[in-house]
Amino acid sequence: MDDSKGGSSHAAHISPEQVQRFCEFIYRRTGMLFTESKRYFIDRRLEDRIAATGSSSFQEYFSLLRTDADHEIEHLINSFTVNETYFYREDHQFRCMTASLLDAIVHQKEPGGTVRIWSIPCSTGEEPYSIALWLMENWPQVDNYNIEIVGSDIDTRALNAASEGVYGDRALMRLSRDVVSRYFRPIAGGYHQIDEGLRNSIEFTRANLIDPQDMRQYRDFDLIFCRNVLIYFDDASRRLAAENLYDCLQPGGYICLGHSESMSRISPLFRVSRFPDAIVYQRPEADHG
Amino acid sequence: MPLIRGSKGTTSGEISAPHRAALDSPDAESRWTAARALAGQADAVPALAAALDREPTPRVREAMMTALIRIGNAASIEVILPYLRSEDAGLRAAAIEALQALPDAIAPFMAPLLSDDDSDVRLLATELARNMEASEATRLLCELIEREHHPNVCAAAIDVLTEVGTPEALPTLEKCAVRFAATPFLPFAISVAMSRISGAES
Amino acid sequence: MADTATPAKARVLVVDDSSLVRLYYRTALETAGFEVKQAINGIEAMEKVLSESFDLVIVDVNMPRMDGFTFLRSLRSGAADVATLPALMISTESGVQDIAEARMLGANFYLVKPVAEAELVRHVCVLTGATL
Repeated sequence: MDDSKGGSSHAAHISPEQVQRFCEFIYRRTGMLFTESKRYFIDRRLEDRIAATGSSSFQEYFSLLRTDADHEIEHLINSFTVNETYFYREDHQFRCMTASLLDAIVHQKEPGGTVRIWSIPCSTGEEPYSIALWLMENWPQVDNYNIEIVGSDIDTRALNAASEGVYGDRALMRLSRDVVSRYFRPIAGGYHQIDEGLRNSIEFTRANLIDPQDMRQYRDFDLIFCRNVLIYFDDASRRLAAENLYDCLQPGGYICLGHSESMSRISPLFRVSRFPDAIVYQRPEADHG
Repeated sequence: MPLIRGSKGTTSGEISAPHRAALDSPDAESRWTAARALAGQADAVPALAAALDREPTPRVREAMMTALIRIGNAASIEVILPYLRSEDAGLRAAAIEALQALPDAIAPFMAPLLSDDDSDVRLLATELARNMEASEATRLLCELIEREHHPNVCAAAIDVLTEVGTPEALPTLEKCAVRFAATPFLPFAISVAMSRISGAES
Repeated sequence: MADTATPAKARVLVVDDSSLVRLYYRTALETAGFEVKQAINGIEAMEKVLSESFDLVIVDVNMPRMDGFTFLRSLRSGAADVATLPALMISTESGVQDIAEARMLGANFYLVKPVAEAELVRHVCVLTGATL
C-alpha cells in the first residue's frame, strides 16, 4: 500500500485491513459499496478526515467514526459525494415521476383533483422549483390537475433564499438555455431570478423531519422527495423520520430518497418499487398481517 | 385524532391516558397513532408492553418499538428483551434493531445476555456489542468465545470483532481456531478477523 | 477469482448481515466460476433482485429490518420474473419447524450453518443448473 504524500503534516499510512474495516463499516451503515477500484479515492478522503478531526491514527479516527462524534459520518459522506444542490439534480427520479409515478397517482383521482408533492429538505429551493419546471416541461397532463408543491426545510435562511428564487450559473447548469429564458429573468450580478408565478406557486415552510409536532401538520402527500438527508441521521432519528414520512403520505403514495440512500438502512415500513427510471418506495395501500 | 397538548399542571399520566386507551382500539390506524403519541412517555411502558404482546400489524409493532426506544430506560429495555426469544424471525429482528438504538441503556444487560442459556439469544446479543467502545466490546466477546460451544454463536462474535476487536482478542481467537479446526467456516472467519485486527494497528 | 474472459456460470445474490459470511460465500462461489453480488438484509435484497437478474438468491434468516422469511414472502408474491427466482435458505435455525416454514414460503432448499464451501458450491450448481 503506497503512502500518498500531499504535504500533510502527518503520514497516516492506512493499511489494506484498515481500509477493509472502513469500507465494511460504511457499507453496513449507509449501503455505499466501495470496491478495490476506488481504493486510491478512499485513501485520500480517509487521510483528509483523519487530519481534519485531529486524529493521531486510523484507529483513533475509526473509533470516532463509529460513535459518530461531531457528526463525523456527515462530514465523511460529504467528502465522498458531490453535495451541491442544483436544478434537475438526480433527474432520473423526475423522469420516473412523469413516466411512471404520476400515472399511478392520478389513476385514483378525478380530473381537476389535487396532486400534492413535497420536497423536504428543500434547501434553497432548487428541488421544488425543479419539480415544477419538470412537470410543466414534461407532463402532458400538468394542466388537468391541481398541483400543490410544498418545499420545507429546517433552515429559515435557506427558505428565505428559496422564496427569493435567485440563482447563479452553477445552479442552472443542467437547464437548457431555452428553459432558463422562459422561466427566469436575468438580474444584477449575473444571477437569474425564477418567475414570480413560480415563486408564488411553491409553498415554503419550516419543518423538522424528526419533530412529530411539525410533521403532524403535513398530510395526504402523493409524492415526497426526501433526498440526501436521512443518510446522516442516527438509527433512532431515521426510524422516527421514516414513521413521520409514512404518516405524511397517502396510502399508496411514493417517496424518493437520494441516489446513495436505501430504505434497507432506514426502515421496513415502505415497499420497494422498481420503475424503468428509478427505485422508489411506496407506503402500502393497506396493512398486511 | 385526539391531540392533547401539555400545559402547566397537567400530569404526563393525563397526557398519555387517552393514547393508552387507544392502544386497545380495533382499528390499526388508531393503534398506530396512539403508539406514536406515546413516544417518550415513560408512564406508558406497561401499556405499550401489553399492546405489543398482542399486536398483529407489523408497522404498528414498529411504532410501539420506536415509542419504547424514545423512552429508552431500563424498563423499556426489559419489555423488548423477551422478543429476542420469539419464534418469529420478524419479531427477533425488530427487537435487535430496537436495542441497537440504545447503546448506553443496553450496557448493563450485555453480560447477562451473552451468558444466556439460549444460544439464539447469545447469538443475537453479540450484535449489540458492535456499538460499544472497542476494548469493552472486545473484553465481553472474548469472554463469550472462551466458554462458547456453539459454532454459530462464536461466528457471530467473531464478525463483530472483525470490526471493533483490539489486539487483546488475538490469543482468544487463536485458541478458538484450534477448537473449531474441523468446523466449516470458523477457521476462515477467525483468519479474516485476526488479519483485520493485526493489520488495524499501525 | 473467476477468469474474466470466461462467462460466469450463473449470477448469485448472497443475502446475509454478516460480512464474514458474505465474504466466505463470495470467495467460494467466485472461485467456482459464479458471479456474486451481495445484500445485507431483505430490503436491499429486494432492491437488487428488482434491478438486476439473478439465477439464485442465497438468503439468511436473521437479518435486521427485513428477515429472510419476510423477504421470501415478498419475493414469491411479486411479479412473475422475480417470484420464481430460486432461493437457497441458509440459517442457524435447525428446527423442523423452521425448515418446514422455509419450504412453505417457497425456499427451494434449506441448509443449516455453518456450511462447508464444497457443500455450498454443490448446492448452488444444482439449483442453477451449472456444472461443477
